[in-house]
Amino acid sequence: MLSLKNISKYYKAGNLKTSILNNINLDVDAGEFVSIMGPSGSGKSTLLNIIGMLDEPTDGYHYFLNQPIHQLKEKQRQALYKENIGFVFQAYHLIDELTVYENIETPLLYHNIKSDERKALVADMLDRFQIVGKKDLFPSQLSGGQQQLVGIARALIVSPKLLLADEPTGNLNSKQGDEIMELFKKLNKEEGMTIIQVTHSEKNAEYGSRIINLLDGTVESSKNV
Amino acid sequence: MIKNYIKTAWRNLWKNKVFSALNIIGLAVGMAACIVIMLFVFYEKSFDNFQTKNVYRLNEVQTFPGMAAQKVGLSMPPMGPTLKHEFPQVKNFSRVRWRNKYTLTHNDNKLYLPQVLAVDSTFLQMFDFALINGDRKSALEKPNSILLTESTANKIFGTTDVVGKTIGHYGDVKQDSLNFVITGILKDVPKNSQIQFDALYSMSSSYKPTDLLGWGGNWMDTYVELNAGTDVKAFERKMPAYLVKYSNRPDINKFYQLFFLPLRDIHANTSDIGLDYINFRKFDGHSTNLFAIIALIVLTIACINFMNLSTARSAERAKEVGVRKSIGAGRFELAVQFLGETVMLALIAMVLGLLLVWLSLHYINQLADRELSLNFFTNPGQALAIIGFTIFVGVISGIYPAIYLSSFKPVKVLKGSIETGKNKGTFRNILVVGQFTSAVFLMIATIFVVKQLHFMQSQDPGFTREQIVTVPLDGNTDSKYDLIKQQLKANALISDVTASQDVLGSHLDQTGVTFRPSNGPARDFGLTQLVVDNNYLKLFNIKLIEGKDFSPERGASGKEYIVNEQLAHELLKDQPKNAKLSSLIGQHFGHDSLGVITGISKNFNFNSLHYKVETMFMIYQRDWGFSQLSVKINGNKADDAVAFIKSVWTKNFPDRPFEYQFLDDHFNDVYKADNQVSKIVGILAGLAIFISCLGLFGLASYSAEQRVKEIGVRKVLGASVQNIVLMLSGNFVKLVLIANLLAWPLAWYAMHKWLETFAYRIDIKLSVFVLTAVLSLFIALITISFRSIKAAIANPVKSLRSE
Repeated sequence: MLSLKNISKYYKAGNLKTSILNNINLDVDAGEFVSIMGPSGSGKSTLLNIIGMLDEPTDGYHYFLNQPIHQLKEKQRQALYKENIGFVFQAYHLIDELTVYENIETPLLYHNIKSDERKALVADMLDRFQIVGKKDLFPSQLSGGQQQLVGIARALIVSPKLLLADEPTGNLNSKQGDEIMELFKKLNKEEGMTIIQVTHSEKNAEYGSRIINLLDGTVESSKNV
Repeated sequence: MIKNYIKTAWRNLWKNKVFSALNIIGLAVGMAACIVIMLFVFYEKSFDNFQTKNVYRLNEVQTFPGMAAQKVGLSMPPMGPTLKHEFPQVKNFSRVRWRNKYTLTHNDNKLYLPQVLAVDSTFLQMFDFALINGDRKSALEKPNSILLTESTANKIFGTTDVVGKTIGHYGDVKQDSLNFVITGILKDVPKNSQIQFDALYSMSSSYKPTDLLGWGGNWMDTYVELNAGTDVKAFERKMPAYLVKYSNRPDINKFYQLFFLPLRDIHANTSDIGLDYINFRKFDGHSTNLFAIIALIVLTIACINFMNLSTARSAERAKEVGVRKSIGAGRFELAVQFLGETVMLALIAMVLGLLLVWLSLHYINQLADRELSLNFFTNPGQALAIIGFTIFVGVISGIYPAIYLSSFKPVKVLKGSIETGKNKGTFRNILVVGQFTSAVFLMIATIFVVKQLHFMQSQDPGFTREQIVTVPLDGNTDSKYDLIKQQLKANALISDVTASQDVLGSHLDQTGVTFRPSNGPARDFGLTQLVVDNNYLKLFNIKLIEGKDFSPERGASGKEYIVNEQLAHELLKDQPKNAKLSSLIGQHFGHDSLGVITGISKNFNFNSLHYKVETMFMIYQRDWGFSQLSVKINGNKADDAVAFIKSVWTKNFPDRPFEYQFLDDHFNDVYKADNQVSKIVGILAGLAIFISCLGLFGLASYSAEQRVKEIGVRKVLGASVQNIVLMLSGNFVKLVLIANLLAWPLAWYAMHKWLETFAYRIDIKLSVFVLTAVLSLFIALITISFRSIKAAIANPVKSLRSE
């Protein structure tokens, strides 16, 4: 599904070159559930952002669905992203001014989906995550776990081929975290959703099919669970 | 999609009530100011736009010996016909003689009309005044033909179906017997016409052809219709030869120069032309343009608030931008969303602005003496223009925030490392400086304008203005002047009564006179003359510096002249070097050989203080008729005195309405245009400052909010409340100071130019600038400190806990 070749990322501040990622090579196949681990500052989030096209590498080759991302223009990249990638954040990042229903609906607006179809899709999603009763609440009225459910629902509503999650349980207590992880596992197993998550927790990492350990911007180890 | 945007926008507005209110109120006020001024500007531009013919008014530059050259809107009776005779490019001409205060009679019904015009038969062919009934070509052909306006006809007959009926005239003694045949009914004259009238009658009714042959007297307005495509400048160059040919005076070009003004230009472009009596609501176009410019400045200030507050708040919106981008929104979609928001805000502001306009229009109309109105139903163009204008304002003020906000990179903003960095701050600072520069500029301008007007109105004009009631006289009422004078003086409420042919405070009539000194050749002069009763100087307290006042005897009428100091010096020019002013007393001067100079008066400002004191003389002449009665009343019983004057008037002239005016009110009228300009500029300046302060308040609150953590840390480290307030206010104070420095030279230059239009003017004092600086700083500080103090006294524990 995606392939990173010799990906590097560094910042220049004056004469000082700070390296974040160093010569990363990584292939992910469709249907995999990859957990990226590593200590703070090891470049996990940067790697995830590059995979998700929210950030650009300084060097290297990046293929996604056989397209050379490093050669694409911003517009094409955005179109590819919009069609295929869903993002889940540690801090949920819901739009505070919109209700649960509207938050889930918003991506559909950017996909130019008609009103009737939108209603059906959102209703499905609300059902599936059992949050129908919360649909008219605003994010601030929900618990963290509920907010993250909405965040995941929002990411999934456009049926992405790849789901990226940046410490999705980082702000949750362990019970809520387990529920989210179970959900990811189910998505991966039952629907064949490709998932890449960044996590601190061994336990959460083990929900995946492969664990990649980063240290100082390089892949230290990669093992299948 | 749009629903989603509107929801987000609306909830965002609601969440940030203070910011939204600042934005909306500022913009609403700016828009309201702009709409009112635009209504005014369009009204002004609409003057005479219903006239379709290529009509010009004939004007003169008069250069009389002993007087400064002056432009006048008057012309001589033979000019119209001879111009048409001489030049093929003159298609038509019409002369107009104004006959104010005219009374028409029908049976026992008497109707007093303020404005009646005697016009040539071609008048209605040249001017497009709407005719309800009657024939444009022939209605004014015969003597004793009259056309009434709709409301005149209704007032006197109760109907407009009166063509063919006769109507009497009760006016000048000499023409008491005039009877008119009504030959047409006109629609009421639109208020945006420079020519106003209640009735028109044919010139031939009151003037025989021989009355209109004289060259020398300028007592009419002449309008000519030129063939399309006539080169007016070239045409004007032919005037000197024409004047000589027809007037038979080879030296006439030394005194008269003719020029033509297109009808539509007259309203706004004749501020330098005097004696143009037919020029309703004449208003200098420069002032109109000035208003438009200031209104745009006010609106710009409001738009800047919008940009500043939006970009300042960008950090709050940044997360939303990041989220929306990460779920598939493109930059364009986001820009459209933000633009849509500002347009929505602008629309809300417009609704509020229209409400403000609606509420203030009555006051504005009083102030500006116009009939401005918001009328979307009868004028859909106006509604469209306002909606278009709103969207334009929304887009203009939203475009920068939209571009700025939509440019955020999701990775960065979602991590929370939003750069509201130094650069953006600099841009905002520049905008704030721009705002305050305009506001300070307007403030300085207002102070100077108000000071100058106050100076003019409080300046001693050289005569008394207080406690004098003036009443207009005409040929008929003047005949009983002596009787009225006697009756009035019998009452203790009245201290004295006098009369004159002109009203002080305007251009006075001019006439040709001769100075015949005993020791030299005679000299001819064209001079300002004031025909007065013999107690005029006493009543007005005009001081004599040489000689004596007019003799009280009736026999002295027409023989005694009092010249002003200015003229006395002019007369002395041909005399030996060290001749004294007193040597002029007893010298022959005046219209015929009977006149002598009996006195020299101190200079007094018979005109407005826009003009220097000109050479002038006064003559006691009872036989030429007075046009103004002046009654000096006693003490503080003004109401009783006026009631008494009215009773005397009504007893003598039961048919004449009693019109009166206090002389000081008359002088307020003289400075009315100045007062209008100063008030409007003052209001706009106030609004500019108000809106700038709203913006400043917003930015100060924002900056306090943004630095809440920094403030907390500083307080923990031991900073006092003063330290914090100083830190928060310092930057803004600096900006206001810079704005002052920028505004000073601009204001100095503009005020220098403006004051040049006054013959008597105040000096430009530095103290005004300093005062404005102090005032603007004070206002700004108050505005800022509201927020800074609140931020400074907040408990640091709270602000630091949030992470």
